[in-house]
Amino acid sequence: MDSEPSPSHEMTFSILGSAAPALAPRVGTLALAGRQAIATPNFVPLTSRGAVPHISHDMVRKETSINSLYIGLEDFIERKHPAPLYNVPAAAHESSLRKFICAQDDATLLLGPRRFPAIACPPNNTETSIAISTSVGFRQLEAHRYIEAIQKLKPDIAIGLADMVLGRAPGLKRRGKMIDRTHAYTRDALEHLYGESVADENKSKTKYFAPVLPLDNTQQSLYLDDLESEFRDYISGLALYESASLGFIPEGLGSLPRLLLSDPSSPHEILREISLGADLVTVPFLQGCSDAGIALDFAFPVPEAVQALGEPQPLGLDLWSSEHAKDVTPLVDGCECYACRKHHRAYFNHLLRAKEMAAWALLQMHNHHVVDCLLAGARESIQRGTFEEDVQAFHRAYVTELPDRTGEGPRLRGYQMPAAGPNQPRRMPKVYGRLDDLSQKFAESQSSVATPDTDAEGLEKHGFAEKI
Amino acid sequence: MQCYAALARLGPRLIPKTFLVPAAAMSTAAEPVRKAMPSALTFDRHAKCSTTKARASTLHLPHGSVPLPIFMPVATQASLKGLTYDQLRETGCMLCLNNTYHLGLKPGQEVLDAVGGAHKFQGWDRNLLTDSGGFQMVSLLKLATVTEEGVRFLSPHDGSPMLLTPEHSISLQNSIGSDIIMQLDDVIATTSPDHARIKEAMDRSVRWLDRCIDAHKYPERQNLFCIIQGGLDLELRKQCCEEMVARDTPGIAIGGLSGGEAKEEFCKVVDTCTGLLPENKPRYVMGVGYPEDIVVAVALGADMFDCVWPTRTARFGNAIVDAGTLNLRHQKYAHDFSPIDEGCDCVCCRPTDKGGLGVTKAYIHHVTAKETVGAHLLTQHNVHYMLKLMVDVRQAIIEDRYPAFLRRFFSNIYNGDKTKYPEWAIGALRGVGMDLLED
Repeated sequence: MDSEPSPSHEMTFSILGSAAPALAPRVGTLALAGRQAIATPNFVPLTSRGAVPHISHDMVRKETSINSLYIGLEDFIERKHPAPLYNVPAAAHESSLRKFICAQDDATLLLGPRRFPAIACPPNNTETSIAISTSVGFRQLEAHRYIEAIQKLKPDIAIGLADMVLGRAPGLKRRGKMIDRTHAYTRDALEHLYGESVADENKSKTKYFAPVLPLDNTQQSLYLDDLESEFRDYISGLALYESASLGFIPEGLGSLPRLLLSDPSSPHEILREISLGADLVTVPFLQGCSDAGIALDFAFPVPEAVQALGEPQPLGLDLWSSEHAKDVTPLVDGCECYACRKHHRAYFNHLLRAKEMAAWALLQMHNHHVVDCLLAGARESIQRGTFEEDVQAFHRAYVTELPDRTGEGPRLRGYQMPAAGPNQPRRMPKVYGRLDDLSQKFAESQSSVATPDTDAEGLEKHGFAEKI
Repeated sequence: MQCYAALARLGPRLIPKTFLVPAAAMSTAAEPVRKAMPSALTFDRHAKCSTTKARASTLHLPHGSVPLPIFMPVATQASLKGLTYDQLRETGCMLCLNNTYHLGLKPGQEVLDAVGGAHKFQGWDRNLLTDSGGFQMVSLLKLATVTEEGVRFLSPHDGSPMLLTPEHSISLQNSIGSDIIMQLDDVIATTSPDHARIKEAMDRSVRWLDRCIDAHKYPERQNLFCIIQGGLDLELRKQCCEEMVARDTPGIAIGGLSGGEAKEEFCKVVDTCTGLLPENKPRYVMGVGYPEDIVVAVALGADMFDCVWPTRTARFGNAIVDAGTLNLRHQKYAHDFSPIDEGCDCVCCRPTDKGGLGVTKAYIHHVTAKETVGAHLLTQHNVHYMLKLMVDVRQAIIEDRYPAFLRRFFSNIYNGDKTKYPEWAIGALRGVGMDLLED
């Protein structure tokens, strides 16, 4: 994570002990010109509208080790074409995407067509476009527009367009279509970005990660064969959507970095993905926990102190719990993250109850740090050759499920939620109904106006006022 | 701005006749024996404008020195709206506000005592000021009534009647441990037509100040400020100043303003009060926060200001700049790739080659009201703007060019068009000996 930017204009991915067989954990370095090299396995922080949720840009730089960002194009192209980010004044070598979102110069930017995790869209994908969800509604993103976006925005890495079916299992015919379309999208993109018809100076410097569909090996074998032969020289990596895909990566593509866009439910699953040979993973539960007021608390390899406890430990700390109300210890003892250095549990408990945004900002910093440490631990463990035992010890030391969410999180925006449908639960609780002034006052006082959590006796105990 | 409008709708007040009020005794007694009022601050005056009443000074408080005049950002619930305290420190802030009412509800006195005060609780090692909670009590809870004992209200949870007294307020503020604490005052809208009620509120605030002084446990480390009341009646304000100055609190606040009264009236009240207040004490005008109001109030001799407006408006996508306020949610900013405020040296506006983030109007337009980060970025800019404005104000006073500063300030906002200058500002400044329209 902390090596110098590499000088060449190329991307290099070097795997340590390159003879690593398939379906085995591997350690490597992904180095792009001008960017901080990324030690793999690692995780790619997810962004929303170009920002790491809740952590403002200056804190990202000062207090986190974030050096790569996953960005979904759909966050930027909601109104008519061309969207503002295409017009950012940028020098020829600069990425207008980077300038628009104010990302640091040495961070690796990965551009995908959609946010991750993407929301299932009711409109269908077509031969030439995919359905996307923007903050103002559903739209189609044409394949040629996506190619144009890669050319104009100049991200470091672009993830190829794939025809995905979200939210339900695709039928047999649909699966065939998915492969055909993805094949066509890929062929087209590579042709336009790097093909022979493109003049050398116009060839895209962006590295293309070809999608591998979350389907069986046999179904997409033709596509995979083409990736291995015809497309091989143009692709710089693979984007996978489920860990099972790691099992059938053709030998000829084995040296490519594998970005696994998956939604693991626990750190155990991250470790499993790594054990199958994933190089870059995504961790949506990280933000999920921050929003829920949960501070992650696990370490890999398991520290002796945790091992000594005997019984499986929880993976996180629910700070909504009133048991933390007076607790002046840090979130996690000995943690070196900004939140743990500066604040204590009592403060987090208060911030969550008061619905203050600082709670989520600080928790995000902590949770990023914990996942960061998990992956750093995994890299060391693989290099030491003790990964398998360490994973077993991890399974013994921690429960396999994240703590349940008990408190409310930040208000979710439309583009962060599944679309409303006939059989979906309400997005927001009903707010109309009781119209009399008094009860409305009370209802309002629940949300916008600070109200005590206790009754009159509690207030008296708080010293706030006395009963009369 | 805080809304006093709600106050006007308050129901009839219950004033128990049985409650003993030593008010009469107090005003007639030759020299009442008062508790000695130690001070936990020193106030150094550096310069006074040779034309207006503006002053530059330094306030030395237990958690560091504060250059005056100052704007204080409001961290209502022990957090400045998503910013970390290091980000706040970066803006140069030396003194910020917490609200006693909010901290009394959450986390409550017990937790504050257990943790050891609000500084430790929120990880802020610079100065804190807390208001008394009376204002929020009356404005947020519709069912509150003010009596001689204190503020009566119904517990929002179970509806049982409760009472918040000056003693409760001070005890809470003692637990919070803020460097400046405010007396509980009888808050009433300046626009109230009920003169008798305004007089009553003023008299009661004086009586409550005595109770606050008596109840104050740590005068050697927390500075109790009195709050001048009296509505827009200058005679009442004068009486109140007299009574309160006699009680020799370390600092003095002018309360009951910023409630939608005409700006002319506001200026008259500030001007009248500062004329009667001792030179050697800091003067705090509560709840005032628009840049125009602040620079004029400084010319009228006020030193300290607070308002939630700069941080609140940031969350709605409004950036404060020299030319006024920009609503960055407007479509015209979607393609505007200039910094929020050209020449501003806050972390957002500073270009990347000077270590800043190079945030553009277009990016704020893109994230504002959608991502919390949008609020964080713009809040940093707005707070920085307000603090930088005060630094410039102070420098201008020290160099004795405050009138010129004011002329430029108004010229920037109104793009040099003197016909658009607000009458109230011209009038108020004329009152302190300067002509805003002069070239």
